[in-house]
Amino acid sequence: MMAIILMIVTALVFPGIILRVRSLASGRKGPRLMQPMKEIAILLGKGSVFGDTTGIVFRIAPAISLSAILCSMLVLPFANQKPVISFDGDFIFFSFLLALGKFFSIIGALDTGSSFQGMGANREALFSMLIEPAFFILLATFAMFTGYTSFSGIFSHFNIAGDYYVLLFSILAVYIFVQIAVIENSRIPVDDPKTHLELTMIHEVMILDNSGFDKALIHIGSYLKFAIFGTLLYNIFATTGMSTFLHVVLFFLVQIVYAVIIGLVESFRARNKMDKNPKFILTILAIAWLAFVLILTMTSRLI
Amino acid sequence: MVDYLIILFAVTLIYFASVERLTNYIRLISLQGLLLFGIAIFELKEINTANMLFIAAETLFIKTILVPYLLTRIIKRSGVTKVHRDAMPGFYLLILSISALLFSVILTQLMHNQYINSIFMAVALFTLFTGLLLIVTHRLIISHLIGFLVIENAVFLFSMAVGNRMPMLINIGILLDIFVGVLILVFFGLRLKPRTNELTMLKD
Repeated sequence: MMAIILMIVTALVFPGIILRVRSLASGRKGPRLMQPMKEIAILLGKGSVFGDTTGIVFRIAPAISLSAILCSMLVLPFANQKPVISFDGDFIFFSFLLALGKFFSIIGALDTGSSFQGMGANREALFSMLIEPAFFILLATFAMFTGYTSFSGIFSHFNIAGDYYVLLFSILAVYIFVQIAVIENSRIPVDDPKTHLELTMIHEVMILDNSGFDKALIHIGSYLKFAIFGTLLYNIFATTGMSTFLHVVLFFLVQIVYAVIIGLVESFRARNKMDKNPKFILTILAIAWLAFVLILTMTSRLI
Repeated sequence: MVDYLIILFAVTLIYFASVERLTNYIRLISLQGLLLFGIAIFELKEINTANMLFIAAETLFIKTILVPYLLTRIIKRSGVTKVHRDAMPGFYLLILSISALLFSVILTQLMHNQYINSIFMAVALFTLFTGLLLIVTHRLIISHLIGFLVIENAVFLFSMAVGNRMPMLINIGILLDIFVGVLILVFFGLRLKPRTNELTMLKD
């Protein structure tokens, strides 16, 4: 339960930190940390406007998408405490819940009947499909290292300082998790949330028809996803024997560093050309595959 | 430490399938030379000083500095910047590269015995397949040369996979191959370029 509270707290400031880092990197003071939340509050106070061509799917999609993300938070552990839901293979459940959320975003976009949103949905589906194997390969490697198939089992038996090979794998795992989070949240270099040209949009073009309350739900889901991937990163670094206070400090430290890294990447890196994105994502998949094969070979688990 | 270097080496092979500019290819070749130097330093402990100096010169001077410098001169003079002209798109090359890694691990498992270092063998096979893929999927002759250099790095790793020995004769043979390849290309690139428009193309 504590993990959920911490993730919600993190999600409140995460977009603000990214914005502030981007502003500072470009020589501006930037908005306050809570500015994105104020915008969310304004959106929540507004009603939604629905186009004539939209149906029931478009109306329920944002709520289902957010619900799926909220449910996926239930399986994430914190400080070796049992999560709300835990069972063997729960990382597959987690992954499919995120996929369910994305599926409803996509069919919600298709339900508008707009060619622009169909184009965005097409791109989002392709990129999600390409990055999904990388996520599974990474978690399969964790499972093979620890001998457990649930998040709580994996992370309670995964000690970053315990073994030389574990440390080696952790470095690669952190890199791959950050890249997966960037792609899942449609950020630079795959997508640019600040773009205003529909033809170059991916995620933003999908939600063009959403407004007011529904749009706020979509943004909340996106911020929570950042906190979820930050929690996965924290669990890699968390070791047994630390007090709960230290775990909380480590949690926020990892989340802040993670937000700063994303802010810096967005400040100094150009966005990929659209046709280069599949190759970029496949490179991440290839590195995940490499981590799986080589580190399991080194530890004699594969050969 | 060797494990970090060998994994970094394997990551550079993935990026060979991903990058599109010849300058990036050259940077990767240079980085591979540096990584091989590090691997040789940490791995070859029971080797005499003369041989060690030779390996250091081969990896650090020739692979990391000289060959990349010559290749940079070629691309500056020829004006060819991209490797993917009429080549297979990087997306499919990456899929082939992932398959090559899988195939390398299967082959290593089939050949596994106590005298072979599995991780070196797997990465050496992966390097060999990457070099072959670079050659068969590209049409630019300079890309073929880079594929050839990658295969040469594979041979270096093979010699490490079978133990802490590095026969001098193999080293000299490899060095000669590099020199002949690069010098011929420099000769063609720098001397004949003004009379042809697309010298660096294999055909057309």
